[in-house]
Amino acid sequence: MLSRSVASAVSPVSSSSLLPNSKPIFCLKTLSGYRSSSFCGGSFRKINHKPLRMTSSNMTPRAMATQQLENADQLIDSVETFIFDCDGQIWKGDKLIEGVPETLDMLRAKGKRLVFVTNNSTKSRKQYGKKFETLGLNVNEEEIFASSFAAAAYLQSINFPKDKKVYVIGEEGILKELELAGFQYLGGPDDGKRQIELKPGFLMEHEHDVGAVVVGFDRYFNYYKIQYGTLCIRENPGCLFIATNRDAVTHLTDAQEWAGGGSMVGALVGSTQREPLVVGKPSTFMMDYLADKFGIQKSQICMVGDRLDTDILFGQNGGCKTLLVLSGVTSISMLESPENKIQPDFYTSKISDFLSPKAATV
Amino acid sequence: MAPQLLSSRNFKSLFDSVDTFLFDCDGVIWKGEKLIDGVAQTLDLIRSKGKNVVFVTNNSVKSRRQYAEKFRSLGVPSVTQDEIFSSSFAAAMYLKVNNFHKDKKVYVIGGEGILEELQIAGFTGLGGPEDGEKRAQWKSNSLFEHDKSVGAVVVGLDPNINYYKLQYGTLCVRENPGCLFIATNRDAVGHMTDLQEWPGAGCMVAAMCGSTEREPIVVGKPSTFMMDFLLQKFGTETSRMCMVGDRLDTDILFGQNAGCKTLLVLTGVTSESNLLKEGNEIEPDYYTSTVSDMMKLMESP
Repeated sequence: MLSRSVASAVSPVSSSSLLPNSKPIFCLKTLSGYRSSSFCGGSFRKINHKPLRMTSSNMTPRAMATQQLENADQLIDSVETFIFDCDGQIWKGDKLIEGVPETLDMLRAKGKRLVFVTNNSTKSRKQYGKKFETLGLNVNEEEIFASSFAAAAYLQSINFPKDKKVYVIGEEGILKELELAGFQYLGGPDDGKRQIELKPGFLMEHEHDVGAVVVGFDRYFNYYKIQYGTLCIRENPGCLFIATNRDAVTHLTDAQEWAGGGSMVGALVGSTQREPLVVGKPSTFMMDYLADKFGIQKSQICMVGDRLDTDILFGQNGGCKTLLVLSGVTSISMLESPENKIQPDFYTSKISDFLSPKAATV
Repeated sequence: MAPQLLSSRNFKSLFDSVDTFLFDCDGVIWKGEKLIDGVAQTLDLIRSKGKNVVFVTNNSVKSRRQYAEKFRSLGVPSVTQDEIFSSSFAAAMYLKVNNFHKDKKVYVIGGEGILEELQIAGFTGLGGPEDGEKRAQWKSNSLFEHDKSVGAVVVGLDPNINYYKLQYGTLCVRENPGCLFIATNRDAVGHMTDLQEWPGAGCMVAAMCGSTEREPIVVGKPSTFMMDFLLQKFGTETSRMCMVGDRLDTDILFGQNAGCKTLLVLTGVTSESNLLKEGNEIEPDYYTSTVSDMMKLMESP
């Protein structure tokens, strides 16, 4: 049974609560004393806004910039668990990235725990397990934490009543996880076929026992779903608005970017004028969940990812070490740009750099 | 100052101090396809007293011409298209006054109205309602193509919103250098039908903000962009105008930003309790239940 503190990790926090008394998230190397529960939820976007980067006197000076990973062994020895994002470091679309199987095997041989945390909510953990298997990787379903799973786990953690329903604007992964957790759901891809006609006398009905609307990446997005979700949120008392994640773009195929979950969530924010509870990165809900589940200390974890505003921020907020890989969406120039304020502890070109103990050229 | 309920005590001074009444449409003149009671007679009476009447609507689904047609079909033939300032018209005018190059294209996530206004202004529009039928494909080695000559994406109310349009618009804004991101308006919800509220353009615009990580240029209320065109038409000062609307954060704010008097009606999205509750920061000068109250007040001694 998950502790209450995990559930509180997703409460939305307005940007003003990050001012004077709380430690700014841009203080990097040492995040000890920074309570992960004070930063979560959909407001991560507000946190990245310029006004928070002001030069107030209680803003701690910017820590050293990120370092290129030169001694992989040292990093490996200093942690017990590696958390990997999937898109951009394990695979790109349906293509495995070179050197990944050997790297994962090496880490396991050294006794490291491996965990995979992805914001992609289209598949369930079981379906991801199959994807790993198809790509020839030895990964257990229990090691995978997709944001689809996170949504169901969140509802469990707050004892969401089993007699209430969940309306889903998203894909199969979310439906499967809700079903596994024993929740009743409506919506999902099938509602992508529903049409509405805006004419006099037409009233769209909605179920009054929907107690939560879960929104994630949805390729079958349409006006029917937006209205259904909006009606539930606005009219069903206490209805929760949960987002699996708010990634602006995602690599559905290896060739280009695609509009991500941030778009669908944005639409519901636009119509309801409410901010969602975010369960995916950079919210630390999944981090707190797995730390609790596996009994691991945050300082013993290294988060490996390719995206600064989700993966690296997730790691920093969670109080663990962070390693950015450049095999995904972030390039070295983006990392080094003066516009970028998120500095991981280390960066390297790809995870198979772990196999060569000395620096790989970036 | 707290909003005053419109009554025989204050109506005459308001009426005499105004030359032009600006009316919002959804929730003020009509709800969906139904004219609100007494509106036709009220508009005629206002005109008969020598006042100008103009319509400023954030709904971009129709063009000015199509709105004039809607007025006519609802029994108000006196309204001509040049008295109508729709956000579809505003989007085209924004591009015009900013010298948008005619060799660049405009991708539209929205209704026919936007496409028509763009065409009248001499611009090439892509997308619009027909993209509601398109589906994206995602396979390894296949690319979602988009026109690299798109120089602006205009987003408005789109009941035919789908992933294809979001992806197309997102690629244009993120990848075409200098591509503008224009929103006709950002209303969260509106009375698209008489019986309930429906998600407004604010929803489609926020979806695009979510994927592009950019904020749009807003041409509709509460932005005062359209006011310049109104002033050109009437040459009167804004202090001699009164904005009549149902929404605080668009209609009333627009009126206030432009220096007009403001009158809220309760036939649309705002109830009296929304208006008077603590925490509401937008206060119109006056409020009344419905537009036809003006007729009763004009007729009373």
